[in-house]
Amino acid sequence: MGFLQILTYLSGLVFVIGFAAKLLKYATMPMHVRWELYPIPHEGKEWGGSFYEEIDHWKKTRHIDHMAQYRFMVPEILFIRALHEDNRSLWYWSFPFHMGLYLCIGGLVFLGLGAFVQIFGMAPENSALASLLQSLTTVFAVPGYILGTIGVVGLTVKRMTDSGLADVSAGIDFMNLIWLGLLFVTGFIVWLQDPGFLVSRAFFQSLITFGPMTEPMGAIHVVNLLLFIGFWAYFPFTHMTHMVSKYFMWDKVKWDDDPNKGDAGMDSKIKKYLAYPVTWAAAHVGAEGGKKNWADVATSNPWENKDQK
Amino acid sequence: MRPEEISKKTEQLVTINTEDLAPLPYPYENYEETPITPLKEEQKKKWEHSLDGVSALTLPKPETPEEEERLVKAFLSGLEKLMTKENNWTFLQPLMLSMEYCAKCQTCADACPAFEMSGRKDIYRPTFRADVVRKIAKKYLSKGGNILAHFRGHDIDLNWDTVARLAELSYRCTLCRRCASVCPVGVDNGLMNHELRKIFSQEMGIAGPEIHEKGSVKHLKFGSSTGMTTAAVADIIEYLEDDIEEKTGKKIKIPLNKKGAEILLIHNAGEFMAWPENPMAFAILFDAAGIDYTLSTELAGYDAVNYGLWYDDVQFARVALKHLEIARDLGVKKIVIGECGHAHKALSVIADRLLPGAQMIPRESSYTLLNEIVKSGKIKFDPSKNDFPVTLHDPCNVVRLMGIVKPQREVLNAILPPGRFREMEPHGVENYCCGGGSGFAIMSSGNFSDWKRLVSGRKKLSQILNAFQGEMDPSIRKMVCAPCSNCKGQIRDMLESYEVFEKTGIWYTGMVELMVNAMVDQEKPFLEWPGDEDDDD
Repeated sequence: MGFLQILTYLSGLVFVIGFAAKLLKYATMPMHVRWELYPIPHEGKEWGGSFYEEIDHWKKTRHIDHMAQYRFMVPEILFIRALHEDNRSLWYWSFPFHMGLYLCIGGLVFLGLGAFVQIFGMAPENSALASLLQSLTTVFAVPGYILGTIGVVGLTVKRMTDSGLADVSAGIDFMNLIWLGLLFVTGFIVWLQDPGFLVSRAFFQSLITFGPMTEPMGAIHVVNLLLFIGFWAYFPFTHMTHMVSKYFMWDKVKWDDDPNKGDAGMDSKIKKYLAYPVTWAAAHVGAEGGKKNWADVATSNPWENKDQK
Repeated sequence: MRPEEISKKTEQLVTINTEDLAPLPYPYENYEETPITPLKEEQKKKWEHSLDGVSALTLPKPETPEEEERLVKAFLSGLEKLMTKENNWTFLQPLMLSMEYCAKCQTCADACPAFEMSGRKDIYRPTFRADVVRKIAKKYLSKGGNILAHFRGHDIDLNWDTVARLAELSYRCTLCRRCASVCPVGVDNGLMNHELRKIFSQEMGIAGPEIHEKGSVKHLKFGSSTGMTTAAVADIIEYLEDDIEEKTGKKIKIPLNKKGAEILLIHNAGEFMAWPENPMAFAILFDAAGIDYTLSTELAGYDAVNYGLWYDDVQFARVALKHLEIARDLGVKKIVIGECGHAHKALSVIADRLLPGAQMIPRESSYTLLNEIVKSGKIKFDPSKNDFPVTLHDPCNVVRLMGIVKPQREVLNAILPPGRFREMEPHGVENYCCGGGSGFAIMSSGNFSDWKRLVSGRKKLSQILNAFQGEMDPSIRKMVCAPCSNCKGQIRDMLESYEVFEKTGIWYTGMVELMVNAMVDQEKPFLEWPGDEDDDD
């Protein structure tokens, strides 16, 4: 097993651990108070309405339109609809950038599948399936490199020239873009040198079989691989994992309108949270440095004048 | 301007010039705006104002460097607590998501009316204050925060200027959350502002005086943020009954503390003082529809407001629990919230997860109930009595933040003649804030009223004017229906400041007033227009 294979495994390990830690961090946070934002697609009211529009809503069965949620999310994820509607000049660059990424990931999946079937002797030259996977790899990856590069160039120029964006951009933002740009460009050059992805597939095969690399890898290909390995490990620790926030922010915050109907799960959480100690220091809170919990401070009224009535 | 510049040592970071403001539509295209009144010299010496020359908080300047240091440390300590589940279980998950994931795309900026109408001042970008908080958290509270801080984009200085400007800046956002509704990643910079206000209040005891000392404290002390005591409520209700008889000829008894009533109706107590015709209209409608309801005279039970919603979770919980406790004691089946937007959201949505389910009482919007009354046919309406153009203001708390969009429109369509209703653009869940959200409607310390007039209220004024273009002749009376107490207050202030009624004939009211005005058995007009009394004379 070579050095590049070991680095790839390590990078994958860091990615999995980093990403899982991030998911776990958000998934295990306490249930928050409701903070929804309408329209909520699963309410099934295209004007943005909610169950609050119905008289005695708590007596009625809630109808949750899951399909409406998917109808919203699929174009949002694939085409970045929100940006298309509200920030078109950025969308012109952000869309090719993201689509380039999706296509490259798709290409990587087909490359992996091609490597897998190759283990069983199915190579593009002798197997229709392997040949199809090879073609799909090209069909996804190459437009992905091109679109990704267009997006990176556009976003970089936009971030440098638009004062609103330039003021909030830091070196790291440009580094991220350039890093991905180099990944796309070197990937494209690798494809020019090896249009059938023969070397890439052999490398993938060596990863799956823990075996030796059977094809020599060119210098640009090594650079491309190192850029990928580095990015894979770095990615979970950046704000670029915003697909995580998208899931939580939409599903667990903006669309979380589950009313409290006294189910046991919600009740036990609320009871647990009300017992958390409070250490807010302002005098009116009356937390006494953590001696009081949320139930204590919320049920106290430091100003109540018992004789007022 | 980069967010890091907030710590710059300078007398004033930004100046609001009237010539920079976004223009208003006809007939105000060439209107000569009155600029923000500069603070007096003695006020400047006393109060922090170095953000934009405006003081909303009348925040005293620290007297010694030691005091400055103590306050800066307190801010950092508050920020740290904000990111713990024990101190902030209420909002931890959405806060941390918004802390971590901003893609810095600025999509939110164009959605923000304060940013747009100020002439696109960078400090009012929704990302500006949020970014400052993110940078402070990264640099000062995360491991290795100092390493490559400039390259990583969070090399910010945390000094007293930063803290003082942040305090004021947290009161330049109305928490309308339009920014959050357009964010492609789901980040909520409105929430970031809400959480920032919590640091100041819950850790440092700093808040808008009108929403804390004169707001939630008075609410919990006397029973109402207006200062109206429990003893005074019954008298006020009696006056309302007399006024109802005078205006309608009907003797209506408004039920008080009626045990076992089906509904506890809670108004924003500001209505009793500023717009008594609103609770009167509710009483007339509920009486005519045969609704079994009661008002309460218990501490906080006659004032639906909950100012804690805007700045302090503890104050919020105290008031919300009082409301629920009173309803439980009365044994009502549900609480109905009057025409008060933030009270809707506070009690219906945010308070929903404060107590185990068995201790909750169902809460309902008056809009929904009023629509049900209209649909039931129990009251006969004659739309021709409201024969004037009407537009509808959507309170953010009820519409975008609670999803009540249709009932108020169905009510208006039933009580207005065809063709008289005009929507503002945009409306519904995409509406713009009145400019008085998050407490601004009642805040007038320092020279903050001028800021509201020029910046936060400007978009709504613009929308109102646009809704009636083509019929601006002042002799054509036109009405803005604003079914929310605070929105109504803000709209009143804007209409008066710009002499809108005199110039265009546009006035404002609530929804129930329009309903009573259209009742078939209402002999005299219930609505009042400016100058009506003079006409009578």
